[in-house]
Amino acid sequence: MPGFSELIIVVNPTQEVTREGMLSIVMPWLYAPWPHAREKGIIETEIDGDTLRALLAELSARYKAANVDFQPVNPTTNDLDFDYDVFVNGKNYVALAHGLDAKLKDGDTVKVKMLWRWDG
Amino acid sequence: MLDQSELIRYNRQLKIPDFGEEGQNKLKNARAFIIGIGGLGCASATYLTAAGVGQITIVDFDTVELPDLNRQILYWEEDIGERKVVVAQRKLSRLNPLVQITPIFTKVTEDNAPSIINGAQVVLDGTDNVATRLIINSACVRLGIPYIYGGVSRLRGMVTTIIPGQTPCLACFRPEGAGGLGVLGVTPAIIASLQALEAIKLLIGQSPALTGKLLLFNGDDIKFRVYDIKKNENCPVCSPIALKQ
Repeated sequence: MPGFSELIIVVNPTQEVTREGMLSIVMPWLYAPWPHAREKGIIETEIDGDTLRALLAELSARYKAANVDFQPVNPTTNDLDFDYDVFVNGKNYVALAHGLDAKLKDGDTVKVKMLWRWDG
Repeated sequence: MLDQSELIRYNRQLKIPDFGEEGQNKLKNARAFIIGIGGLGCASATYLTAAGVGQITIVDFDTVELPDLNRQILYWEEDIGERKVVVAQRKLSRLNPLVQITPIFTKVTEDNAPSIINGAQVVLDGTDNVATRLIINSACVRLGIPYIYGGVSRLRGMVTTIIPGQTPCLACFRPEGAGGLGVLGVTPAIIASLQALEAIKLLIGQSPALTGKLLLFNGDDIKFRVYDIKKNENCPVCSPIALKQ
């Protein structure tokens, strides 16, 4: 669920993930732009696989269908694109034993941060 | 009033509906600031000068180096070692002597930012790091000066036009990301051209298009994507609570 410039995904949450409690959503296009999520205000997704890479691929496919540019894993390099940072339970994915192929388990929190551009 | 040489010089843009002599006169009396005269600043300064923005202040603390020449189009080999603002003033004045170019050779800091930009009608971002951008953003919000953010890396760039009190400011996003990723010369040229266009529209009284919107340019697939952005009610810079402090 994006609060500011982040997308936070909870794996198998015990409660529904909703917009409630958020003071503002400054990048609303990141907020689950697929139709049923817009109606319900709830993101629900199932992934084919149990890795971080599979989750990001599934989300990318959903955003692509909604015509939103969200592709954390670069299809050419098969690695994380420099537009994003990904954290699992607060730890940068590069510090995980298997990186993008780390397995996710119930209760894990995955945070995707969109990075801004600072060169001139 | 425009004189005969101005009518000839600006002939092509005077023909544009909703611009005309009235718009040109507004530009002639306008005052724009460009902070950072590197890849972004060289391009935006060139177009603002060519368009006839009456007063342009350029701010930078750097000297010209060889790695600048792939994208900083106002600097040539013979300029290496010289202060960027001095070279830029010289070249821009030769492009359009009707424009008053004021160079300021200094590093923008939290302390000096408000006094540097005071009096500007618009500030264009030409810097290369997040810290300076947040300082400029904060000063612009405090002084109520529109600030046009532009940032690039590699083949991608971003633009948004910040109108204090109306749109989200840069700090609304708690923005992060590393610099120094590399830049292809045309990327800042594209982004800075959009910044200059937004500035010109603003200066002649038209509505800029990127207020409350973030434009993302991707040079890999040559696509521009524009998304709505919202204010952060808890923003440490532009929220009502922050502004009271």
